[in-house]
Amino acid sequence: MVQPVLEWQAGRVTAIRPETRQTKSFTFALPKWMAHRPGQHYDVRLTAPDGYQTQRSYSIASPPERLREIELTVERIPDGEVSPYLHDVLMQGDELEVRGPIGGYFVWDVRLGGPLLLVGGGSGVVPLMAMLRHRAAQHSTVPTRMLYSSRSAEDVIYHDELNGMAAANDGFEAFYTFTRQPPAGWTGYRRRIDAAMLAEVIKPFDKRARVYVCGPTLLVEAVANALVEMELPIEQIRTERFGPTGV
Amino acid sequence: MDRDEPDMNTALMVDGNAVAGQLEQIFGRDMTMTIARCAGCARDAQLGALMAFIRGPGVVLRCPACQNAIARIVETPSAIYLEARGAAYLRMAPQG
Repeated sequence: MVQPVLEWQAGRVTAIRPETRQTKSFTFALPKWMAHRPGQHYDVRLTAPDGYQTQRSYSIASPPERLREIELTVERIPDGEVSPYLHDVLMQGDELEVRGPIGGYFVWDVRLGGPLLLVGGGSGVVPLMAMLRHRAAQHSTVPTRMLYSSRSAEDVIYHDELNGMAAANDGFEAFYTFTRQPPAGWTGYRRRIDAAMLAEVIKPFDKRARVYVCGPTLLVEAVANALVEMELPIEQIRTERFGPTGV
Repeated sequence: MDRDEPDMNTALMVDGNAVAGQLEQIFGRDMTMTIARCAGCARDAQLGALMAFIRGPGVVLRCPACQNAIARIVETPSAIYLEARGAAYLRMAPQG
């Protein structure tokens, strides 16, 4: 099988949906769409009138079962070069240069099986959501737990959809931790993800867990180190660090 | 220096997966599952799992075990430079 060359294409914005105060989901119709693997990303490139170019990578939020279009969920980084443009300037009907799908490392699909532990911080939940949407679209019952760290309940991306998935009783459970402002009456976790929390969430899966961790670099570092100390085989851990921002 | 707080370089670090697009542009295939053997410590790691520093004028990929610089990539308007003397070798599945 010859792999098609990765090339830039003009994606047309067909929908923009606010998710939280800081995040929006953008749907792009792609003339050269191809099915991605959940967890992959697209590169987005902006070109200024003087020719200056800059690009960023954004995880795909939609499952490959959604044909001919992709959805990217983007957090607005206040001093960023690309995300403020996407949030404040880009409108439905506009075109944007994108290339993808990219990356074979941070991917999961139902053929890989489980049990599956997804750990996300802030907008690190985006590629994990592509995995969960794919899992749901395939009617998979792979035992799956998600541990998701947010500042407050208002910052939880896809909150309603995640609650709906958890209510489906198909082997998926969601665990939340709030690092700044837990909701009133919250009795769950209210601290940064640590080794003790991970040990509780991973318990039923023990060392069989296949783990995907995505979020700010320091969160991913802490989680990956804790998993290695639990003697989880390193080849079962996949990480995606996205730098200094976030929770 | 004795400090518990991770430094800014650590906070800025991402995974090799973040430069998957650039690598695919250079090699014409996905490189994230390609194994690099570190020329420093002889440990193997997938390119997607290397420590990547991408905020500078170029990209530096480091060994997650010993932090040796495996590769550096710099793009100019007329050329791409890929220096990889920190890798003993790359091992990838044949295509086709």
